[in-house]
Amino acid sequence: MYYIDLAVTGVSFGCMYAMMAVGLTLVYGLLRILHVAHAAVFALGAYVTVVVANATGSVDAGILAAIAITPLFGMAIYRMLYEPLLSYRPDVPMIASVGLLVLMQDAFRIVFGEQGVTFRTNTYGFTTFDVLGVAVNAVQIAIVVCAVVFFLGLHLFTTRTRIGVGWRATVSQPKIAASFGIDSIKVRYLNFAIGSALAAVAGGLVAMLNNLVDPVIGYVVSYKALAIIVLGGLGSVRGTLIASLVLGLVESYGTIFIGQWLDRDAIAFLALIALLMIRPQGFVGTRAA
Amino acid sequence: MLYNRLRVALRPAHLMIGAAAVAFTITSAHPAQADIKVGFQAPLTGFAATDGKSAKTAAEMAIDDINAAGGVLGQRLQLITYDDQAKSDQAIFTANKLIGEDGVKLVVNGSYSASGRAAAPVFQKAGVVMIAAYGVHPDITTAGDYMFRLVHLGPPQGRATALFVGKILGLKKVSAITMDNDYGQATMDGFLEAAPKYGIEVINKYSYSLKDRQFGSIVASVKRDNPDGIYATAYFFTGGPLVSQLRAAGIKAPIIGSQAFDSEKFIEIAGPAAEGTYIVDSFDRNRKDEALQHFFAEFQKRAGYAPEGVAAVTYSAVKLMADGIKRAGSADPVKVRDALAATKNFAMLEGNLNGFNSLHEIIMPISVNAIKDGKFQAAAQITDLDAFAPPER
Repeated sequence: MYYIDLAVTGVSFGCMYAMMAVGLTLVYGLLRILHVAHAAVFALGAYVTVVVANATGSVDAGILAAIAITPLFGMAIYRMLYEPLLSYRPDVPMIASVGLLVLMQDAFRIVFGEQGVTFRTNTYGFTTFDVLGVAVNAVQIAIVVCAVVFFLGLHLFTTRTRIGVGWRATVSQPKIAASFGIDSIKVRYLNFAIGSALAAVAGGLVAMLNNLVDPVIGYVVSYKALAIIVLGGLGSVRGTLIASLVLGLVESYGTIFIGQWLDRDAIAFLALIALLMIRPQGFVGTRAA
Repeated sequence: MLYNRLRVALRPAHLMIGAAAVAFTITSAHPAQADIKVGFQAPLTGFAATDGKSAKTAAEMAIDDINAAGGVLGQRLQLITYDDQAKSDQAIFTANKLIGEDGVKLVVNGSYSASGRAAAPVFQKAGVVMIAAYGVHPDITTAGDYMFRLVHLGPPQGRATALFVGKILGLKKVSAITMDNDYGQATMDGFLEAAPKYGIEVINKYSYSLKDRQFGSIVASVKRDNPDGIYATAYFFTGGPLVSQLRAAGIKAPIIGSQAFDSEKFIEIAGPAAEGTYIVDSFDRNRKDEALQHFFAEFQKRAGYAPEGVAAVTYSAVKLMADGIKRAGSADPVKVRDALAATKNFAMLEGNLNGFNSLHEIIMPISVNAIKDGKFQAAAQITDLDAFAPPER
């Protein structure tokens, strides 16, 4: 039973990381920018969810509002922060990105207060199911379901639709795709919109699980997601998904062995260092690339 | 950070206003006596800003209350506040500013351990009296005889918790969960050391990062431990999610939390799961005490939320400083230091402060609260002072 409890925790962590990290991977694949400010998008998703949920009394409305609003924010980041800096070395937009994250954290603090915001009625956060002795929270189920639905949808979109195929082509071979008449600028906006919506859902669900949205909510996931995309083999969506799940499970099971001395972040990063020493190119990347 | 930069940018304007004020004082017919300056450091930005804001509000309230009652020795108190971001470099920087630019001789430190222990030697060397309101690192008082502390050190808190868990609650098997900062570790060490004395067996010990809010794997492990009780060190922002996740997993054992759980926000975050949680060295809100009722009402009005332990102790720290000046009959730091060291039965918001030991650590009983119907209720008083005596100089 203990191991199943840990598996539930690990898989839900993993799915949350995946929703967060895919946006980063897509941006890296397309623009070669480490989109650190993605953590601010995640936090914005969490804030929109809790604020709208408290205003309307419906947590569902909160999540839907987050899905509607954060893509605009993501696209604005591209248009106003990255696009003007694209001609510079990649570390320039990355530093701008770090700056935006710090700015947003303080903005959240000023607007919503230092103490953080809790849900007035957290419909799902306090609902737990007992499945044969294993306690599963409704939000944990929602995280896994959302991740599966989104990634299946994304898969169908990128393999079955014209826009999706164009998107994929632009990510892997931007020049050739452009010569086939694909509008790479539109692809970039699409990219930021979808990545941001995913991060917002992850942020909203984590907010419910914690029943707390504070200015640092994006902090841990931000650097962990960066590590995940490296482990996944930069720019590979499949690699990112694998790396997310592996990390979630390692964190969860790691407490059995070293939980007494190290917290789960330390366990995660130890595992990352070890894995990167064995496979510096990541799970999916090739050594030459 | 942004705030700090703005402050620096505003400095010339400050100086001009200051100069204008001086000019005004000189020309006015009845020159008022100079104010007594009390320096104040708190983390107003950065990760600890939540507590910093509470501390600042409480300190300003205390100053206003003292001045409204006629000040001290016929003089008004003036609070000079700096943001130390709970960082050691900022603490040293602002400590030097307080000493050099502001000429402050008396300081209340409303900040965390990391910053408090960095500021302490700077003030000690300059002969400035410092009362650390809630910084719990041992290095603060060991910096020297000008240092005072108004909270119990981590290890004594932990030892008192062991007494409460083993002797008063009679729990035998305990899972221990600690945050991985100085305060959490030190408190846990005190608990682990004293546990055998009260017949407590610690089944397992877990550690988590302060930035974490997801405790799934620890919760699963505690469930397997199947303990009689769970002892956790946490702040409200980690304690809230931790307690709610423990209860969501169907764990029914009593949860005993450390002092830093003490916040209304804890109850708000954990919701119904907070019921029954014990908080050791918590601030007893039920006492029929006029000063306490005034503090509650006024803080709520100013801050927009109910005060927590940090606010109460910071308020008491400023009040104690004023009391020290009064008893010393002067704002001279040497005299204030000696008056503070000789403190006997000072009424803090948290209860009666018996006095300080040779290391200037407080000697006072520890209150335990339990959460009943979504409110803090007094649950016990630990009065066996020898069981959690602080170290001597």
